[in-house]
Amino acid sequence: MADIRQKPVEPTPPDTRPEEADALEAHLETKRMYINLGPSHPAMHGTVRMRVELEGETIVSADPEIGFLHRGFQKSCENVTWTQCLPYTDRLNYVSALQNNFGFLSAVEKLIGLEIPERAKYMRVIGAELHRMADHLTMVGATGMELGGFSVFLYALEARELIMDRVTELTGARLTTSFGRIGGMNRDLPEGWKEKVLKSLDKISVVYKEIEGLLTRNRIFVDRTKGTGVISAEDALDFGFTGPCLRACGVDFDVRKARPYWVYDRMDFDVPIGRNGDNYDRYLMRMEELLQSDRIIRQALAQIPAGPIIVDDWRIALPPKPEVYGTIEGVISHFKLVMEGVQVPAGEVYDSTEGSNGELGWYLVSDGGGRPYKVHVRAPGFPILAGVPRMIEGKFLADLIPTFDTINMIGGEVEQ
Amino acid sequence: MSRTVFILVSIFLVIPALLAGVMMGAYALGGWLDGVWFPGAHRLTNILVLMLVFVMVLASLLTLAERKWSALMQNRIGPNRADLFGRPVPAGIGHFIADALKMLTKEDFRPAKANTFLYNLGPLLAFAPVFALFAVVPAGPTLEVFGKTVDMVVATPDFGLLFIFAIASLAVYGTSLAGWSSNNKFALLGGVRAASQMISYEVALGLSLVGLMMAFSTVQLPAFVGEALGTGQFRYLWGNDAAMGLRPGFDVGLPAWGIFLQPVAFVLFFAAAFAETKRAPFDMPEGESEIIGYFVEYSGMKFGMFMLSEFMEIVILSGVMVVLFFGGYHLPIGEEWLRGTELMRSYPLLLGAVLGMVFWLKVLTLCYLQLVVRWTFPRFRYDQVQKLGWKMLLPVGLVNVFVTGALVLWDPSLRLLALSGLLVIAVVLALTMAAPGEAPAEAHGEGHGHAHGDTTALPPSHAHATGHAQVHALNAHTAVPQKLETPERTPVAASH
Repeated sequence: MADIRQKPVEPTPPDTRPEEADALEAHLETKRMYINLGPSHPAMHGTVRMRVELEGETIVSADPEIGFLHRGFQKSCENVTWTQCLPYTDRLNYVSALQNNFGFLSAVEKLIGLEIPERAKYMRVIGAELHRMADHLTMVGATGMELGGFSVFLYALEARELIMDRVTELTGARLTTSFGRIGGMNRDLPEGWKEKVLKSLDKISVVYKEIEGLLTRNRIFVDRTKGTGVISAEDALDFGFTGPCLRACGVDFDVRKARPYWVYDRMDFDVPIGRNGDNYDRYLMRMEELLQSDRIIRQALAQIPAGPIIVDDWRIALPPKPEVYGTIEGVISHFKLVMEGVQVPAGEVYDSTEGSNGELGWYLVSDGGGRPYKVHVRAPGFPILAGVPRMIEGKFLADLIPTFDTINMIGGEVEQ
Repeated sequence: MSRTVFILVSIFLVIPALLAGVMMGAYALGGWLDGVWFPGAHRLTNILVLMLVFVMVLASLLTLAERKWSALMQNRIGPNRADLFGRPVPAGIGHFIADALKMLTKEDFRPAKANTFLYNLGPLLAFAPVFALFAVVPAGPTLEVFGKTVDMVVATPDFGLLFIFAIASLAVYGTSLAGWSSNNKFALLGGVRAASQMISYEVALGLSLVGLMMAFSTVQLPAFVGEALGTGQFRYLWGNDAAMGLRPGFDVGLPAWGIFLQPVAFVLFFAAAFAETKRAPFDMPEGESEIIGYFVEYSGMKFGMFMLSEFMEIVILSGVMVVLFFGGYHLPIGEEWLRGTELMRSYPLLLGAVLGMVFWLKVLTLCYLQLVVRWTFPRFRYDQVQKLGWKMLLPVGLVNVFVTGALVLWDPSLRLLALSGLLVIAVVLALTMAAPGEAPAEAHGEGHGHAHGDTTALPPSHAHATGHAQVHALNAHTAVPQKLETPERTPVAASH
């Protein structure tokens, strides 16, 4: 700076300026840096590898690479009966396994052309919404944690643990629920479970307020998430976004409203719509949907009718145990169902339910036998992950973290 | 229940007693050494006691405290599993010993292509300056012990505060060198972030204290604290006659602590110093979930030195803040009376113990405050921190300097300055209290595409509308949702 002042003032400063600027600037050779985020990286959950090209701290390009969690889901399903596919579906979106279970079962039932009992429908709504809450709590907590607010994560997990406990009472498993069967449910609601769920929901709403207080109006959090990871509604549709990530862009699409399944048409709930398509909106979508799921569960628990939980058709549902042990028809049906599986009529079907992160679609093909000919999952996380480079290129490396969090890609379902 | 009792007992009895005991021992040791060796030899014991015993032990215990206190905040129990010779150790103390042993015995890994000299120098450069920082911080009053004058500070250079600024900025070399010499891209990013962060906060850090320097017309830390009534922060802005030194008695009043005189400077200094310690929410150089940190390649005690220096920075930052803003080792009220009592006159060691304990309790409180901040806030982004430093802290610091200068000139008794400070505190408190009510209650549900389900005839009011109306109000999510244009298999309109 001292040099500039010493120079005599010339009548035409524009001529000298570039020279000065040139002299002040250090012409160093710079080069772009490639770093590998993942597959073992604290922020790359679900073992995704992200190859990031950096110019300083700015992301020039990003290339997500999946496959580290590939388990051969589709091929595995072709070798087992329709019912035996169920445990594989647990492991797709392992945060909300019930939604996968029920989504798959609904698709199979649609292929058969089967109407399941009322009570089973309500149970599916309750289970799916419980796990939607679990999924959203995980996402909100993980976002908080990876932005440095570890307490939020533990609060969220505390709330999720309540859901886990209720799900365990319902299904017998924390994670791999394998709940429901073709034609209904395999187990009724446990004694006193409704009251426990209501109590848990009350506790979760307390934790919810704490989380909201820590994040929603937190200046640092808002600064970190607002305006980062932006995607326009057109781009989101082109990429095939669904669920909260699409709704955050302002597109009003929710399978539960667009094509109501089970008993969603009887539930009074709102679908939050965002506007900016940024991380903050995606976070708000999750927070609002938590409240809406709470509403749905309370309504469903109040409305749920008594009655059978599975269709009374021994070609589809296992016969009651006294029949199996007491009658020859029962034994034969049981044997054939277990050994050969449910005989699904030949044909193909696409069916979808609203998963926590978007439209969870199932494309099933049956050749008329007891085993699937083809099972394809439209995992909501897959197109969203594909959109990540578009959302973060030209942004800071630090923006990658909340973006990757709020799209809530689940490795299990993306990599199958 | 027993845990609560344990915590309360330790907070109110054990910890003060321990602190007082060690401080008394420190004075006694200093007085004894002065007698047997040479006058001023107590400074050597001060190095031992203040730096090794207090700072080192407190920093190591803070590693445990961070885990325990964060557990308290997060409804957890925290570490309590480590046993000592098969016997359970209370409060997870065993973990802190186990951690130290673990770090000392781990393999000392060095990346193949790292620069050996710089790689080894990194942790030392990060650790040593932090250690030296406490040298100028007075932790207790000057007393006559065994006939010798003993003070509780390692060094009293004329440039006290400047020494802190100078040495604090040295620590960044360790961080940057560690990041650069590890030959790791993540570490390099961390080192670069550390360097730029330190540089931008250095300015705000120094500027924030200029007002205080003007108010007390000194840069020496003992002078900030004040020794006799009426010097430094050991004076009352307003108080009864005893407080004003007019007659003996119990002195009550508003002490001239830095926090009352310079609340803005306190916030600035706290933020800037927090950024210097590289802890959340300013932990960009570490950025655990982004770039893992500048020390990603370090293992064993080398990593331990980085971690420990961070905790030592907490203790030292607290110590400096106590000295500058919270009256050092002085009691808020009644100290002159306490000094005048027969007991304290006869046993100056006791006075040293009490006032030393006061100092360390204040330090512990501020350490706790820092840990609360660390466990509450998310991390800033790299550029946002720069923005905060240059565009917020620096201008505010400059304004603070001018306002303080004018007020000190106008009223050298500092009462005007204190009035403005109290006003600022009141405004900040009022704003904090009012914040939750600010959100206007906008109608909830307008922004929703599907207002209601089609069949059920429930009333359109939502039971929870008040609960989260602010979420929408904040963002004005009231846009009419854009419709999905070509519904091939997605009949959106069907539900309307």
